[in-house]
Amino acid sequence: MGDARASLARTLIYAAAVLLAIAYLVPLAVVVLNSVRSAEEIAQTSMIGWPRAWAFGNYGTAWSEFCIAQTCTGIRPYMLNSALVTVPATVLSTLLGAVAGYAISLWRFRGHAWIFGLVTLGVFLPEQMRLIPWTIVLRDVGLTNTLTGLVMIHTVQGLSFTTLFCRNYYLSIPQDLMKAARIDGAGFFRIFARIVLPLSPPILIVTVIWQFTHIWNEFLYGVTFTTGTQQPITAALIALSASVADIPQHGVQSAAVTIAALPTLLVYLFGGRYFVRGLTAGAVK
Amino acid sequence: MLSLQRRAMLAGSAGLLAAPSIARAQPVKPRLTAISQWSAGSDGAAITALGKKFEERGGVWQHSPVPGFTTDMMNKLRAQIMSGDPPACSQLKGPEIAAWSKIAPTVDLDAIVAAAGYEKVVSPDLARLHKPGGKWAALPLQVYRTNALYLSKRALDRAKADKLPTTWAEFNALAEKMKSGGVAHPVANGGARPDDGQKFEAALAGISPTAYRAAIMQLDAKALNGPEVRAAFAQVRKIADWMDPNTAAQHYSTHLAPFIAGDMGMMIQGGWAQGVLLNAGFKLDDFIIAPGPTDNGKPVFLLNADAFIFWQRKEADLQAGQKLMAELVMDPAIQTMYSQITGSIPVRSDVDLSGPGWSDGQRETASTLKGAIAADQAVLSLAHNMAQENGMTAAMIDVITEFVKNRAITPEQGAKRLAEAVEGAR
Amino acid sequence: MTARSALAGSRRLAEYLVIWVPLLLSAGHVVLFTAWTTWMSFTPSTLLPVNGWVGWRNYTSVLGTRNWQIAFDNLLLFGAGFVILTALTGLLLAILLDQRMRGENLLRSIFLYPMAVSFVVTGTVWSWLLNPGMGIQKLVNDWGWTGFRFDWLIDRDMAIWTIVIAGIWQSSGFAMALFLAGLRSVDGDLIKAAQIDGAGPIRTYTRVILPTLWPIAVAVLVILLQFAIKTFDLVRALTGGGPGLATQLPALVVYDFMFQRGHIGRGSAAAVLMLLTLLFVLVPYGGWKIYQQRRAARG
Repeated sequence: MGDARASLARTLIYAAAVLLAIAYLVPLAVVVLNSVRSAEEIAQTSMIGWPRAWAFGNYGTAWSEFCIAQTCTGIRPYMLNSALVTVPATVLSTLLGAVAGYAISLWRFRGHAWIFGLVTLGVFLPEQMRLIPWTIVLRDVGLTNTLTGLVMIHTVQGLSFTTLFCRNYYLSIPQDLMKAARIDGAGFFRIFARIVLPLSPPILIVTVIWQFTHIWNEFLYGVTFTTGTQQPITAALIALSASVADIPQHGVQSAAVTIAALPTLLVYLFGGRYFVRGLTAGAVK
Repeated sequence: MLSLQRRAMLAGSAGLLAAPSIARAQPVKPRLTAISQWSAGSDGAAITALGKKFEERGGVWQHSPVPGFTTDMMNKLRAQIMSGDPPACSQLKGPEIAAWSKIAPTVDLDAIVAAAGYEKVVSPDLARLHKPGGKWAALPLQVYRTNALYLSKRALDRAKADKLPTTWAEFNALAEKMKSGGVAHPVANGGARPDDGQKFEAALAGISPTAYRAAIMQLDAKALNGPEVRAAFAQVRKIADWMDPNTAAQHYSTHLAPFIAGDMGMMIQGGWAQGVLLNAGFKLDDFIIAPGPTDNGKPVFLLNADAFIFWQRKEADLQAGQKLMAELVMDPAIQTMYSQITGSIPVRSDVDLSGPGWSDGQRETASTLKGAIAADQAVLSLAHNMAQENGMTAAMIDVITEFVKNRAITPEQGAKRLAEAVEGAR
Repeated sequence: MTARSALAGSRRLAEYLVIWVPLLLSAGHVVLFTAWTTWMSFTPSTLLPVNGWVGWRNYTSVLGTRNWQIAFDNLLLFGAGFVILTALTGLLLAILLDQRMRGENLLRSIFLYPMAVSFVVTGTVWSWLLNPGMGIQKLVNDWGWTGFRFDWLIDRDMAIWTIVIAGIWQSSGFAMALFLAGLRSVDGDLIKAAQIDGAGPIRTYTRVILPTLWPIAVAVLVILLQFAIKTFDLVRALTGGGPGLATQLPALVVYDFMFQRGHIGRGSAAAVLMLLTLLFVLVPYGGWKIYQQRRAARG
């Protein structure tokens, strides 16, 4: 009797999980199916549908052939541009955020609460509002139309998130451990390197995932602060969208979107396990 | 600044005397930095072809497309201007040319335009937009009509229609016949803001171009509260009732298949839709392009024109590049090439469209434009940012798009809200 | 001796640099950009930022538009709907995954992957799925259930909920990850004790496990709230702000006035108003944190 009820509950749980998983996969399926349909077929039927003829060529076109005005290189060089911005900005903002979070949470210098409050406020500022100020900053530091400029922007803005994540995580490191280390004569860097950093991989993975995804998918700054062939992948994807005067290239665009999403998807797939583990360790106080 | 302008002009007039072959021998190689949103499809192809011509004439073509919405292109332009590094030339249109020319110095093109005799072949309303403060600062490149009427052959068959509608009354009658003949939605439509705006401007300009000019282009309070604007809203309500309510914000091309199949009847669209239909794999025999309905028997043309604005640069090679670009943009052969790629018509009224590279639709568009100019019924499009600056346009389209999407708003309320929105945005 | 103190001094300097440069850059840009935007909101700036003083004119102008009024109402509705429903969905998924199922890794990845997708793509795909003419409604109608309606996308009153749906799809995996982390760190002894007391699984959850999740729930709410406030691309791609103006949100209005309409002054005023609404949430949150700290300090 009890066994039957338990196994019924088990079945229901599995059924719910499978149904939800299917629901979550539908949007992905729509995009992947469109990526192997021709623009004509989509225009003549519907945005959602099973391919009549498999247009695998969309992937080749998306990767290395389609033109953005006079440049017919596909999305390949734009993927590289995005990587050149995303990787350094992710690494820098994560490292600096880790140190900042460590200083705020474990050293508690004067005014740490205030400065932490201000840094955290940064997560709420919409990027539309920051566009013109950043224009002025880039001009004044001479980084207009450079990838370095974008790296700088994403590092400074990213610090809001990385400091927030790391500070909350480091709060769970017992103060006694700190005291003991200080009695032993260890300084700021030594404690960071010997005690804090070895405990950090989980939260560093979380911030890396977070930063990587956000910077990779960013469009507004990418399109405004770069020029021509320096543009990030998001700009190349938008170039495939329909203007009023063109038939939308949904087939090639879906293929391009699929390729462009691979780096972030892979980061989530491989990092996902640590993501949960990292948060388990107390990222969220 | 004055000396800079003089130098630019001197450089310009010196270049005028030189034949292209000599220009190549000059010490500076013309170079052009340009930004536009034209990145893909026929727009991208056309500007790339223009770049090829620029290179053939010995120039260095540095075009940076800014993909996305027009606003993204403007953000880019603003960032460049704020950094003191404007492009030598950028895409800009309508009254925004005057607005932007106030924030950074533009090149005085009067001498080059005069030498090319361009002013004589451009319609006066259009010329005015490109001459802020009376001096040419920008050059129109191509013209589109935004009130073309596309009719589905199969829907016409279902309605057993024997003639094309020329007035709004005939349009309405045909739509009714289509409906009773089994056409699910007599009007095919897109769901974006310009789509809604286009229906309103086509209605008002067709009912009374005079009222359109006064209310929309001159923002005359009396005209805005006049009976024609109310009648236009009433017509838009009818159109909205014939549209597919399920469109939401989709691109109008979503409905091309049912349109061709005869499940949808008519589209009020720009000239670009012809190219879109052909690129989607449909045939010219499947549809008819006709002028938008007009109630006074004379042709009405809603003008939309793309243009380039030229920003002052000190570099000699950029100045030479600007001059070369200006000459190319005004060149009838270049305008022919450009329009044949995009499906627009040339700005120049003296280009012969009888050749094999032109479609019947383009020929009809050009002759309608001539007729409309003669009747003083060529007016500037609101939906495509030709009639007002963007702030005013957006405030007006807000009212129109809410009206289209909300049956509870009466034409009287629509007209009242439009007048209020104009006051609020002034 | 002197060499050693010099070394200590330079180490001290390095410490200061490493701590303060990033923090001051980050905090500084928040303060400066906010102050600058506030200043701009009182200037007559249009296409370019200029100095000048127009008093409250930009504010009265923005507050007088339907766009802002609708956007503000929507922010309350969407903010509450999105944050609460996403958190609940995330909690549900976390509890589901916590049942020691086979294929847990796969399921977790499936629920988490939408987070890796850009908002533009999410918005575009959901604009197809939720479109009654081509998406879910059409599919169900084609299956023969012709009376089925799911047309929130074209319904002015319901359209804002389509953005909630797409938002839940995108962000619930993140909430799930946080909650799952919380569930996994609940003390095993507590659960055993509850089971010995004869509590069933549901009772164990509601009485023992969920109450320990409060700190995590707050973190989830804060992260989701910043998504809600900044929602922009999702709406542009999904509804375009429509039908009509029905799905305007403050971030859209800020962008629209500042850039599309070429009025930096009014756009800045909208941005300041938006940040002020944020205070309604942040001030109580800050109060709660302080209360919590005081309580912790008292032990």
